[in-house]
Amino acid sequence: MNLNWLDAFLITGLFSVFMVIGLALLLHLQMGLARIANFGVVGFWGLGMYVYGVLYVQVDWPFDDPWRFLLSALAGVVAAGISGLLVGWLIADLDEDGVLLGTFGFATIVWILATTETALTKGALGLGGLQFPYRLGNAKQNEALWLLILIVVVALIMLYVWRVHRSPYGRLLVAVGGNEPLAQSLGKPAFRTKLGVFTVGAAGMGLLGVMYGVLERFLETSNLGVDLTLAAVVGLVVGGTARLWGPVVGVALTVGLFDIVIQSYIPLPKSWYGQAIPVLREMVFGAVLIGILLFRPLGILGDMRRDKLMRSMHGE
Amino acid sequence: MSDPSGAPILEATGLRSGYHGITVIKGIDLEVRNEVFAVLGANGAGKTTLLATLARLIPSMSGVLRFLGEDVTHTPAFETAARGIGYVPQEKGVFTDLTVAENLTIGGMIGDRAVDERMSEVFELFPDLAVLRNQVAGTLSGGESRMVACGRALMQDPTLLLLDEPTAGLSPLYVDMFFEKITEIHRTRGVGIILAEQNATKALQVADRVMVLSLGEAFLVEEAGNLTTEQLKEGYRI
Repeated sequence: MNLNWLDAFLITGLFSVFMVIGLALLLHLQMGLARIANFGVVGFWGLGMYVYGVLYVQVDWPFDDPWRFLLSALAGVVAAGISGLLVGWLIADLDEDGVLLGTFGFATIVWILATTETALTKGALGLGGLQFPYRLGNAKQNEALWLLILIVVVALIMLYVWRVHRSPYGRLLVAVGGNEPLAQSLGKPAFRTKLGVFTVGAAGMGLLGVMYGVLERFLETSNLGVDLTLAAVVGLVVGGTARLWGPVVGVALTVGLFDIVIQSYIPLPKSWYGQAIPVLREMVFGAVLIGILLFRPLGILGDMRRDKLMRSMHGE
Repeated sequence: MSDPSGAPILEATGLRSGYHGITVIKGIDLEVRNEVFAVLGANGAGKTTLLATLARLIPSMSGVLRFLGEDVTHTPAFETAARGIGYVPQEKGVFTDLTVAENLTIGGMIGDRAVDERMSEVFELFPDLAVLRNQVAGTLSGGESRMVACGRALMQDPTLLLLDEPTAGLSPLYVDMFFEKITEIHRTRGVGIILAEQNATKALQVADRVMVLSLGEAFLVEEAGNLTTEQLKEGYRI
């Protein structure tokens, strides 16, 4: 297949956009439906990535890929899920401020562990030696196939979220998020419900972390900053936290703008990509977040069902 | 349908509860059978706290709570709800992001009977809800929201319904309608009802027995027909 149109920038950009869409979709279940303000997305993502990376590189496996990859990746996803269960259990009864600080604190712990446990992670020097679980002709073909696999994974996450939206479980999440005591009085175990969605979300985030680690093949602690969480939160809020398509639209308009349009199609000096663009990206994301919360708190898609109804009621 | 001589549905002995270490309910003894049992009292008497404690939404500090003969003192609220205690709070009684039909469906997620069958019964009781079924609950009026909250509790097929001031802040038209519905629910569905109310006149018209609550204590428990104005005034501390 002719892959001339696909350069390294575009692969990384597309990977970044689809990965953040996946994260924002999982965050949508937690934050948009169950109203759990998870600000530790990068913690679960990073834990999955590092558990996979450390096991893949540091363990003397008696077999090679794909089993070496599959077992390491599975361990990364399970570790992220278990951490979600533990963090979720600790924060489930806290108010929104407590949840926000608790999840942010968890992400900080993951970053500190990845930085200081140098015997396992190589710390700030970075952990190399990762490989794709398959070997095609060249690096670009490997990366392109991996991007395709990620798109399939994100499509499956989308399908899961779509099914949740249409199921009694989705209504239960909205009920628990909207009015927990009332949900309890109707026979719904609110604590268990919140814990379930938090754990599943954390495991999914861990899986996306594993996939990113495979693409990069070199794990750096600088990836564990707040940038990724901010990207997922901004994408979700811009699109509309309560809407199924909110994460897709929001991430496409924010991360897509920077990581694809600006990186691949705007002719900017190469030196800008190192410092100026990433800094500008965070500044714009912060400004967009403030603007959306001030002028369109329900996001671009908003809660269309309610908007439409209010318009019809008030004859606007 | 009232059977004040039958077996108790709900029994509380020495029940104490409150918030943040402050005792609001100070040792209530209560026995409710298949009847309409009104809890009357002035503002701050503890009616809402008592009902929330009976629904297990507020943990009791001491005392024993039995539902259908089983100790539920430490049972989580969602389990007592599944066993048959329906609760309609005074405020925030609907899931504002869900439609009327979705609110009702949430109530019907427990129990064996088909949800559609139960929803039809609710629409029969509150015909307005059938018209509003696709409307988002956050856009409803106060009276409509109360109907949804009540209908959703009935979707649980409860044995006992706890109604916390269902007519507070409603227009006289809605107040009359609600008291008629309370009687209808009890008579036709055989549901025991504990009704917390400030409107003593209306409550006494539908109640079999009455507890007057005063500063978190049971001032008296009496047959509704035997309650005198003097007793009521004393209980309300007027």
